[in-house]
Parts: sequence; C-alpha cells; structure tokens
Amino acid sequence: MFKFLIRISSFISKELTEILRQPRLILVLVLGPFLIMFLFGLGYPEQNRVLRTIYVAEDPNSLQGDLKVITEINNPAIVNQGVESSEELALVKLARNQTDLVIVIPENALETVRNNQQAQFVVYHNEVDPFQIGYIQSVARIYVDEVNRGLLQSVTEQGQEDAGTLQTSLESAIAKTQALKQAVPPGDTTTANQVADLENDLTTAHDQLSTFRSLGSSVLVNPFNADTTALSNIIFTPTEFFAPAVIVLLLQHLSITFAALSIVRERRSGIMELFKVAPITAFETLIGKFLSYLLFEMILAGVITALAVWVLKVPMFGRWEDYAAVVAILLFTSLGVGFLISLISDTDTQAVQYSMLLLLASIFFSGFFLDLRLMWEPMRILAWSLPATYGIQMLQNIMLRGASAPPILFQGLALIGIGLFLVNWLLLKRRMEV
Amino acid sequence: MNFTKNKNLTGDVVDAQALTKTFGQEVAVDSLTLKVPRGAIFGFIGPSGCGKTTTIRMLTGVHSPTSGQVSVLGKDPTRFSKADREKIGYLIQNFVLYPNLTVWENLNFAASFYGVSLFRGRRLNKLLEFVELKEDKGKLAGALSGGMQRRLSLAATLVHNPELLFLDEPTAGIDPLLRRKFWDYFKELQSEGHTLFVTTQYVGEAAYCDLVGVMYAGRLLMVETPDNLRKKAFGGEIVRIQTAEVISYENRNNLERLPFVQGKILVMNDQEIEVIVDEASTAMTQLVEACNGEGLTIETIEEILPPFDDVFVRLIEREDDNV
Repeated sequence: MFKFLIRISSFISKELTEILRQPRLILVLVLGPFLIMFLFGLGYPEQNRVLRTIYVAEDPNSLQGDLKVITEINNPAIVNQGVESSEELALVKLARNQTDLVIVIPENALETVRNNQQAQFVVYHNEVDPFQIGYIQSVARIYVDEVNRGLLQSVTEQGQEDAGTLQTSLESAIAKTQALKQAVPPGDTTTANQVADLENDLTTAHDQLSTFRSLGSSVLVNPFNADTTALSNIIFTPTEFFAPAVIVLLLQHLSITFAALSIVRERRSGIMELFKVAPITAFETLIGKFLSYLLFEMILAGVITALAVWVLKVPMFGRWEDYAAVVAILLFTSLGVGFLISLISDTDTQAVQYSMLLLLASIFFSGFFLDLRLMWEPMRILAWSLPATYGIQMLQNIMLRGASAPPILFQGLALIGIGLFLVNWLLLKRRMEV
Repeated sequence: MNFTKNKNLTGDVVDAQALTKTFGQEVAVDSLTLKVPRGAIFGFIGPSGCGKTTTIRMLTGVHSPTSGQVSVLGKDPTRFSKADREKIGYLIQNFVLYPNLTVWENLNFAASFYGVSLFRGRRLNKLLEFVELKEDKGKLAGALSGGMQRRLSLAATLVHNPELLFLDEPTAGIDPLLRRKFWDYFKELQSEGHTLFVTTQYVGEAAYCDLVGVMYAGRLLMVETPDNLRKKAFGGEIVRIQTAEVISYENRNNLERLPFVQGKILVMNDQEIEVIVDEASTAMTQLVEACNGEGLTIETIEEILPPFDDVFVRLIEREDDNV
C-alpha cells in the first residue's frame, strides 16, 4: 500500500512541477477566463440592438394626421432616420449599411383599409445571421402591432368624439320622448307603453355611450396587458447569466487539453516503454495523473470563481459546498474525456484537434448560448454526452437560482466520469501490457 | 557504494531458447539461444537494425516472443510480478525522461515510480555523484548535453538498485572519452554484483565484456569471450614475425606444415609474416625454434590483437559466405 502511494505520488509531483514550471501559463489560465468574462460584460451591455430605420412613402406629405402615427411609433428598438420618397435610394443606403431597416409604407393605406383589405408594410433588412433576422422579424411584428394599435386608438378617439355629438342628440331625443309621453292621452296604454320603451332604449343607448366615452382610448384598444416576473425576482445581466457557463466551458476545456496532451506525449517520447518494464501499473499511472490535474484545476477553479464572484460581482446564491462538488465532478469527467483523447490519439496535433472539436461541440450543444429545449430531441443525446451540458445546468442552478444541483444531473455526470475512468484504465492497461 | 545484496549468487539470470520474434512477414529475431551468467557483463553486438533492441524488449517483457522460451531471473518476462520488475533496470536507447524537469526531479520521479522509499535523498545524491552529475542536479534535463542526458538516464535506471541491468546502446552517439567513462561505470557496477546486458554497435566495446553475443540480421552468430571471438574470426591467434633475412616461399611452406599453425601464412612484406596459431603464448617459442631451423634470424615476434572491428567484419563476411 505504501509503495502504491509512492508510485502515485511520482505522477502527482511530476505533473504539478511541469505545470508550475510555466508561470506564464498559470497566469494566462487564471487571468484569461477572468478577462474574457470582464470583456464580455463590457461588450454586451444590458440593452437590445437599436435598428436605424428609413421609412419610404411615395408622397411624404401625405403622412399627415392618422398616417403620422406610422413613423412616430414609440418603439425603443427603432430609431427613425427619416422618410424617403425613393425606395431604391433607401435600399442603396441599406446595402451600404447606412441604415438597418427600410420600411415601405403602403400607398393609400387608409383607402385600402376602408376597402376592407389589409395594407401591407414591406420591411427590408440586410442581415445573414438567423438570430438577427429573427430579432428583426419580432421588431417588425411589434412595430406593425403598434401601428395597428395607434390607428385603432386614433379611430377610437374619433369615435368617442363622435359619440359625444350622438349623446347630445340622444339627450334631445329622450327629452322629446318624455314630452311625447306626457302628451299621450290617458287610457291609450298601448301608445304610452311604446313611448316608455322608446325612452328606455334611448336612455340605455345614452348610458352605453357615456360608458364608451368615459373609457380611455388606450384601454379600449389594449384591454389586457402582461407583466412577466421571475420567481427569483432578479433580472440578470448577460455577464451574470453567462458567467457559470463560461466557467464550466473553460474548466472543461482546460481539463481536456491538459489530459489530452499528457499521455500522448509520454507515448511519443518513449517513456511508456520504461513504464512497461517498471513495477508501476496502469491504475497507479492513471490515478496519479487524475489526482495531479484534479488538484491543480480545483485550485485554478477556486481562483477563477473568486475573481468572478468578488471582482466581477457575478451572483452566487447557492451553497459553496454544492458548487465545489459540481466543479470537482465536472473536472473529473472532463479529465476522463481528455485522457481518452490522449489514449486514442497518435500525435500531439491530433489530440489538440480533438480537444478543439469538443470545445466547438460544447459551445453549440451544451446549452451555452442556445437553450437545450430548442434542440431536436434525438440531438439531445449528443448534448448530454458532454460534461459541459451537465456543468452549465448545475452551476446555473446553484449560482443563479440558489438551488442545489439536480441529483440526476450530478449522478449522470459522475456515472460518465466513472465509465470514462474504467475505459481509460483498460486502454492504458492494454498499452502498458506486453 | 554497494547496490546489490546478491553478490555471491551464481547461475544464469537470462536463459533464452530458440527465441523468435516476427512482425508480420519480417523476422526481427530468429531462433536466438543464449545464457547470461549472473554477475557478468554480456555485450550484445551487432549493426543497427539487427534485432538487438527487439531481443532486449523480449527479455524485459515489453514484447512477447512469437516462439521460443525465455526466462529472466527464473521467470517468464511476460508474467513478471511487481517484485520481479523491481529487480530489473532498463535503459532505453533514447532519452525519454522529462526535459522540463531538473536532473533531481527526474531522478526523484524515477525513484517514485519504482516505489523507492521517500527517505532516499542520500541515495539519489550518491547516484548523481556516481554519474558525475551532482553539480548539475538543478539543471533542466532539456538543457543537458547528450552525454549528460545519457548519464542521467543511467542514474534513473539504477535508482531502485536493480539486480539485472538491460542497457540498450548506452554509448550510442557519445564521444569516445565518455564512452570509456561509461564502461568504467559498468565495470564498477559489475564489481558491485550487478549483471549487465549491454547492447552496442561499437564493436570495439566487446573488449570490456565478459561474454559477447554477435548479432547479425536477426540471428545470433555466436556467444564467446572476447578472446575466443578473435580466434573464431581468424581461426586462431595471430603471431607476427619479423626476420633479418628475406623469408622465402620454401621457408613459409615449412612453417605452414607445423602442427600448431592454422591455414596459410599471411605475407606482410619480404621479411614480415603473420601466422595463425592455436595458442600464441606456447606457439611463439616453437616458432622461434622453427625459424632458427630455417636459418632465419628473428628480429621481433609478437602476438597481434586485431581490433574488434576487424574481428566483427571477418565474422560477418564468413556468415555472408555461409549464407
């Protein structure tokens, strides 16, 4: 047992010494992630993209009265750059990136509506990014809704005004009906009843018009509104939201890269031949390597987390012991992936390529910036085979929700880690055996 | 310094019988049979690519033989236990230690993976002293010269005090002075009771060995002492005679008829010949008498020890002729 510990210690000491001999590497490993998060926060402030917009109307002078609402919509996503009469000129500006949107106002819009037809806005953009296109489509939808609402409100206000005149007429009619009621000869109950009914109808119509006029036009047009509130009642900045995912992705990548280069380099150098002859086993080698990297990366994770939480003020609502457990299991499993790469690669270059591919896969499939629920279900198998997917979900839960890690995710990640350890052990054993 | 506890043991530490290793269609080692006695320096000599490293790999358990039997320290190397492995030291042909670690750290690493006790500082220092690297223990291995790296590798091979050392071309690529120093180390290790199995392509190094195995094209041509190797190469020992008079054809014919003279006499010039005899020390007196009988006055007579390079070339030529 004592010799077992000594043999394990050979790798712990060797790997740590080799890493610590590169102070610049350590500095980059600690400051790199911190700087990335800091710059990310700086680069993405809490606001949506504002779209510079040119309106096109064949006759800009016609945009008077009701139509003025089209260009004066109070939408923070749209900045009015003016009205052009030439669609062609507006599109040239769009192509030259002098504007973001061109909205072509339909000709004779009001007449079209009066003719019981929808007037069509044409919205031009020059985007290729599907997410930006989606954003512009949403902005355009909201814009048209607001235009519709604005016009509706204007019509409603006009209706309320007209209703005032109608009410005066009704009051006069009611007064006349009352006079008529007085003039009905006694005994002519039929006429008396008809006049009374008429009076009632007129009064009801008057009251309803009163109600109609008393309501604000905006309430009439938008009777319902929605207010979204998160359970935690906190709105996170992009940096705060992405911080746990960035930490996970960085730790996974560092672990994979370190481990991926570790065994492949030894295989290339020829020292594996010495291990084959020496009394050291594959199990001792693997344990030694796991422990050395785990120790180093736990310290590294601690420093990165401390900088994120205390310098960048990334929220940490959960318990530190949960955080530490998730980071440990994430590192263990990621190291397993790295050692697997190391054992199946023939060269350093191959190992680095595989690690980079895994990083790319993690960015796209781990829920780093695309919600996993948007993913086609069979593809989620790929997502859940990446340690980062588990790590991101668990750290977001702990740091942003103040909850503990879902046990199924923790156990799932641990299971993958143990499975990888066993596979690596068998592969290394095969390589170290005759 | 005393490395081994088994100084007085005898017997063979390596016993290989008809050992063959093939890689696909290529026969790397063909039916090799040899025995290495305990406490000996066994030189394994042959040109590059002749199968020396493959043989060493089979003896250390890195490769399993395709056929044949091998026993090292009484065990099949492919079934070595940890305890068996602790008795073996293996110096790989290339420098395989870590260039980013210092001399001391590399040695410490080797000591750890061999399971050497943590109270080993004195021992490591002694080893560094032995290979003359004590002053350089803080240097990075990558910054050492080729010769220093070889010495560090040797120290790492000795770190667990192995009984049997397999040294694969320990002197390859280093200057003659350092090569000489290495053989001094090996002699010292032998005197302390270690058995050394040393491969080399420097034929001249055969002189330092107790036994020499000559390997060529995957086959072990012979295992002999260095002296016997010379005899086998030339058919006996060589005596060079210089006379005051011209040595005639008749003189040579008469000398060739002597019972202890082997084969034809080699004429160096009119007054100088080389004679191959069974045993130079006894034959020289008889040759002096025979020459006097022929009326020849001997000016000098001496035993010639041809360099092992010539011995090796002669052996290979004979082997090629046989094939």
